[in-house]
Amino acid sequence: MKSDVCAAATAVPAIEMRDLSFSYAGAKKPVLRDLSWRVEQGAFALLVGGTGSGKSTLLSLCKPGITPAGTRTGSVEVLGAPVEALDTAASARSVGYVFQNPENQIVCESVWHELAFGLENLGTPQGEMRRLIAETSYFFGIDDWFRSDTATLSGGRKQLLALASTLVMQPRVLLLDEPTAQLDPIAEKNFLHALFRVHRELGCTVIVATHRPQPMVDYATCAFELADGRVSRVANLAALREQPRIDVAGDAACGERASSPASEKLGHAVELCRAWFRYGRREPWIVRNMDLAVREGCIHALVGGNGCGKSTLLALMAGVQRLQRGTLRVTSKARALLPQDPRALFMADTVRDELMEWADRGAYDEADASRALARVGLSDSEALHPYDLSGGQQQLLALAKLLLLKPRLLLLDEPTKGLDIDARRRVASVLRTVRADGVTVIMASHDLDFVQQVADEISMVFDGEVACTAPREEFFQGNVYYRP
Amino acid sequence: MYAERHTAFDTAHPLVPAVYATITIGLTMFAFQPVLIVISLAGGLLYECVYDGPRATVMSLRWQLPFILIVALVNPLFSASGSTELFRLGPRAVYLESLCYGCAMGGLFVASVLWFRGAAHLVPFDRVMTLLGNAAPTIALMISMSMRLIPRFVRQGKLVAAVQDVAAACAGHERSVNTGARDAVASRLRLSTVLMGWTMEDSLETADAMRARGWRADIRRTTYSRFRFTLLDALRIVVLVLAGCLCGAIAAAATGQYAFYPRMSELVLWWGYVPYAAWMLVPGVLHVREEARCQ
Repeated sequence: MKSDVCAAATAVPAIEMRDLSFSYAGAKKPVLRDLSWRVEQGAFALLVGGTGSGKSTLLSLCKPGITPAGTRTGSVEVLGAPVEALDTAASARSVGYVFQNPENQIVCESVWHELAFGLENLGTPQGEMRRLIAETSYFFGIDDWFRSDTATLSGGRKQLLALASTLVMQPRVLLLDEPTAQLDPIAEKNFLHALFRVHRELGCTVIVATHRPQPMVDYATCAFELADGRVSRVANLAALREQPRIDVAGDAACGERASSPASEKLGHAVELCRAWFRYGRREPWIVRNMDLAVREGCIHALVGGNGCGKSTLLALMAGVQRLQRGTLRVTSKARALLPQDPRALFMADTVRDELMEWADRGAYDEADASRALARVGLSDSEALHPYDLSGGQQQLLALAKLLLLKPRLLLLDEPTKGLDIDARRRVASVLRTVRADGVTVIMASHDLDFVQQVADEISMVFDGEVACTAPREEFFQGNVYYRP
Repeated sequence: MYAERHTAFDTAHPLVPAVYATITIGLTMFAFQPVLIVISLAGGLLYECVYDGPRATVMSLRWQLPFILIVALVNPLFSASGSTELFRLGPRAVYLESLCYGCAMGGLFVASVLWFRGAAHLVPFDRVMTLLGNAAPTIALMISMSMRLIPRFVRQGKLVAAVQDVAAACAGHERSVNTGARDAVASRLRLSTVLMGWTMEDSLETADAMRARGWRADIRRTTYSRFRFTLLDALRIVVLVLAGCLCGAIAAAATGQYAFYPRMSELVLWWGYVPYAAWMLVPGVLHVREEARCQ
């Protein structure tokens, strides 16, 4: 289906930016400075850079409707036409945009309506709309779940649907902003494979902004790095493939500790014995006859696919849910739960007020709060609104807030989801200091790099049971498929 | 996974069952005459029985029968009219007519509930959307979006409450804090604050996603509708409307000549009950036929 039109038009670049500068409304420093960037048609381009480097802003400049408020100088051309000349409809037809969060970018309640949404907006005649939707559904294998409710889909399917409902409008350039940051590794591979087919079979130009390029390098034809407001071409694609070092300092200390005889003698912080749990009488068992013991003062990771019951296990250990059968023994009642989205914790207008929210209950004062902020490296952000922090900073703030309550058992659900390497390092170092205080940490995670470098013990959860528990060195040695 | 239920009017344009459901609910709510109420109740029960199975129907009788009984017993307390005094309750007389009137009220209410539920089976949500989508695309989209947001709001609310409770328990472990009713109210207020912030933030991204896909492109929206309105559908609707008019006339006649007070009119065998019963049995019978066709 790679059309001749496309080949003939390769002289016109998909995206061309010249002398581009952009600053957010109210900001003193520009986030993008005198930047020039050119992506040829038919490319599969990666745009790498840390959180806050302006990747999303750079991509959004190609779609005037979603550009953040601010001032821009210089020119942006999409397929040879300046973006100012594109109205909403023309922009939707030529440039597709897929966002990071599958939950937020889905608009309608059923899959078929979601696919139709864009075409309905563009006033596409019904006959053509039906043909496009049918074709797209077959291409992505959506026909099996075409009539489902979007709420019942897994995160991976939601993101695939977001891709499909963008492509149904047949854009020639596809921009994706961290499209797999919220997905588990298997769903991520599925999504990337679909994306690769879009590029290869439809001849669509694909540009992916990401802070974790490793899984995508194999598909990419070129890569660019955005740093200090400028774009530069990455000469050596293979270099992006390296596994990032998350744990820089604490590695040796951890190894010692895990194998020291003292820790062997420590008891278990959490013990599940022949545990059974389901959400309702007609629901399937989520936890079935599970045995699990977590040693005290240890970082224990739970890994496994989506819906295997990791989050449910955390809810059980936190006392939010109760077992139907079996026993759960938790040594300390002082526990804290950090959900996947730290925003579930935020209610104040500033970072400082946020930390002081539980001051009465937790019996701590301003000085404790300042120390907690310093510990997670957020001392400069005291006066900011929690929602103005980056994803990684939000995660650290939520951690600091919970740690002020001095929990003995810290339960974390996907603590590194969507975070860049810097933020992951910070989280890792916080977890290490917490463990040094003798706190037990249990985290459910898809981030195998992080788990491999930070956890002491790892359990793989499958089908409501623990398939295996092992110290991390052994765990990854024994695994054939499930490894970073 | 999505499982499609087949029922009456499965292959018709959604307007057909919508017309049927509207007329039926109208008849049920306005025909206040014992025999017609019983017929409507029977029709509603039959449809529920064939759709959800006898077990579910019996289970729902568990609240329906007591409900009718309660209304029947409560009515005499409010309206002390009638002529056949059964007994006296303190200063008030309880009349047979009043008791029967209450029974009829309860029956009418239960029948209406049954038919509303039946209507939801006959015209499932996606068919309502099809109907609306053609007439008012923006309203259809708004409904579709809220259908998506409400369960999500509930889910997030539960999560926020759980996290807050765990944190409260953690703090309470160190120091005994009295958690009274005031604290409980404060914590639920906090929950709504958290939820508001969270939802607002999310909706900004949803708005971007909508704009990126051409929302408000100043073009008249079209719809992806899978139902075609055929001549047969038109014919069905004409027949339904005619039959509905007949049933309406029957209901008007029957209700007009019947009175509860001061003395209940006598009930006689009448030909008019036959078409009325036929009307009420339509979905049950069609459902059975539809099931038979699938096998």
